[in-house]
Formats: sequence, structure tokens, C-alpha cells
Amino acid sequence: MIFANLYNKVLGFFRRTEQEQTESAKDTACNRLRVVLMQDRTNLTPELMERMRKELVELLSKYVEMDKEALELNLEQDGEQVALMLSIPVIRARDEEEIKAALEKEDAGETEETSDEEQEEAESEEKSEDESEDEPDEEETPDIAEEVKPKKTKKSD
Amino acid sequence: MSGRVIVITSGKGGVGKTTTNANIGTALASMGKKVVMIDTDLGLRNLDLLLGLENRIVYTIVDVVEERCKLKQALVKDKKNPNLCLLAAAQTRDKTAVTEEQLKDICEKLKKDFDFILVDCPAGIEQGFQNAVAGASEAIVVTTPEMSAVRDADRIIGLLEAKEEIKSYKLLLNRVRPNLIESKDMMSVEDVVEILSAELIGIIPEDTGIITSTNKGEPIVNDSKSLAGKAYMNVAKRIMGEEVPFLNIEEPKGVLARVKKFFSGLAGKEK
Repeated sequence: MIFANLYNKVLGFFRRTEQEQTESAKDTACNRLRVVLMQDRTNLTPELMERMRKELVELLSKYVEMDKEALELNLEQDGEQVALMLSIPVIRARDEEEIKAALEKEDAGETEETSDEEQEEAESEEKSEDESEDEPDEEETPDIAEEVKPKKTKKSD
Repeated sequence: MSGRVIVITSGKGGVGKTTTNANIGTALASMGKKVVMIDTDLGLRNLDLLLGLENRIVYTIVDVVEERCKLKQALVKDKKNPNLCLLAAAQTRDKTAVTEEQLKDICEKLKKDFDFILVDCPAGIEQGFQNAVAGASEAIVVTTPEMSAVRDADRIIGLLEAKEEIKSYKLLLNRVRPNLIESKDMMSVEDVVEILSAELIGIIPEDTGIITSTNKGEPIVNDSKSLAGKAYMNVAKRIMGEEVPFLNIEEPKGVLARVKKFFSGLAGKEK
């Protein structure tokens, strides 16, 4: 035991680079803190996150059939930035008729101003439908990022 | 005279608010300033213990508020420095015994006779915190380089920013352990400052002397040999507007120190 200790000590004494290979405890702490503080600073309570998750499920299931329970929505550290990560396990893409039916049903149901916007969004997504078929989507929601930033800058004042 | 009211707060308990309060107060008084410390931790008072004044308390802040005594009667003078006073918290009552307005009023009155009013805030973000902050225009947020303490400090900073009366707040990083920072096991001073993006007013190294000084009821700033004592003295100087460079709290480096560390580590393992 003592010899093993001695060996490691001697090795460590001359070569101090080894520990830098893996993420240090301090880096882990910093990264975890950044994420948790982002959650704390935004007003996104777990309830709101859950609501956002549900709304996204509702929106996206018009276009793709997915595992609704497995859809994950989290704030994550991505390099220097904190991103809103959305992971969607897609079962299969819906065919054109299904999508049309879903959209028509929605148009019939709503006559609000927002429906136009949604229509546009829907169209653009329809075009890119093929690519997004089987890769779990990871996207950033610009709205959130915008909401978060002013808070941060306010801090440094 | 119109004194400065500084609240010392942290969110998390046990990071050294009261120790900081006792030491900064003692340091400022030693520099010839008239200082009063208010313990607002009703029901869990401790500032009296750290100052060794626990046997001298006759009236508390609750007695003042409920008009059983005059404000001046409730001020307990420090044993060594007559410039230093304590307004103790009541031990038998809870946080509702004093209101924000009453604390504001007390601070206003004390401003006339003292240069500094240091308010020791209880842990948490409830009414006790709101009361302590009510009369203050400056704040010192005490934290340690630990995740939970930093998270709570961030929350406190958010609450302080929302308060119009608080004109400035500064960060005091307590219980810093240079050897753990060097081995990348603990967040560094820079990490914490960056994460909280707040201005630093002091870095206090972990010091076992704090335990003995607490036991004796004598703030560690009185010990000019102690590193933590020096660090607290520097905080007081910075409060006074002096520009003091941050202490080098790192352990001595160089071949000799490393050889020493090498052998001390071995000895420790053999046991």
C-alpha cells in the first residue's frame, strides 16, 4: 500500500498533467451552477417548463408522430451559452394527408390572428420535413434567449 | 453625522455572515469610526457570542420596538473599543416581533450618532431578510466557493437588485481554500466572481483561527498575525474607500514547498 502510494506520489510529483485530462470538480461545479442559475434567473418554473413541453408536443405532433412521454425539454450548458435543448424521439413522420387534416381541423377551430403565423410556420416546416424525419431535434428558442439576456446584462451594470 | 447602513447577508446559513459582521465592525471601530451592529436574527442570535458580549445584554431590539427602553439604553458597548456597540436580537421571540418600518426607523435614528450601522441579516429570504434589508442602502453578500452558497447568493443578489433603497452591493468570498483551488477541486475566486458578476470586496481564506476566536468571543481581526484577520481588516479599509490589493492567500510555491508537501502527504497516508 505504502509503496503504491509512494509510486503515485512520485509520478504525480514529476508529471502533473494527468489530472487535467478529465473534467475537474471545479469545472463540473461551474457548469452545473451556470445551468441552475439560468433556471433560477428566468421565471421558468418547473410548471411553466412542463406547460411549454406540453404545448410543444401538441404543436409538433401535427407533423410528426413521436414518443410524447420521452420528449425532453431542458436548459443546458452548450459551451459558453446556455441553450434550450429539445430532444424529440420521432416514431415516424406523418404523411401529407394527415398533416393537411390536422391543419384544416385547426383552421376550422381557430380564427384568431395567431393562426396566420402558425400557418406560415407550418408551411416552412412542411418543406423541411424530410430532413427532420429521424434525427432528434435540438433547437434553441430565440424568445427565451432574448428574455434571459437583458437580465444578465442588468447584472453587470 | 449621517452614517452608512450596510446589511450583511448571504441567503444560505453558515457561510460566515455573523463572523463577517463582528470582524468588519471591530475593524472599522479600531480605525476610529463609531460603529453599531444590529443583530436582526431574532430567536437565533449569535453576534453577541462572537463579540463576547453575551453576559452584558440587558435590553434587545424587541424591547426598543415595544418601548420598554430607550434605543440608547439597549446599545451594549464592546469590552475593548468604546466606539463599537451592539444592538442585540431577542432570543425568545420570532422574526415577526419587529417590522420593516420599525427597523428602518431604528437605522434612521442610529445614523445620527454612528458612522457605520452594520445589520446582521438572518439566513433565508423571508421576512427576516426583508426586515434586515429595509433600512440599508448598501449590502455585502457573503458566500463561499461552494455551489449551494453561490446559488443562494445569486438569489439574494437578484432580490437586492429589485430593491431601490440598496444603492450598491459587493461580494465577500469567505472560506477560500487555496490548496483545493490549486488542485481544481474547488471553484476559484475568479469563477465565483464571473458566475455572479458582482464586484468583490474581500477574499477571506479558511482559517482554523476563526474557531478559537469564536470560542474566546474575540474577533480574529484583533489578531494581526492571522491571515483571515488581515483579510477582514482589508475589507474594512475598502469599505472606507481605500484601494487595497487583495491578499495573496496562496500557499508558498516553489521546489521546497512542493518537496515539503510531498512528504507531509506521505506521512498522512501512512497513518
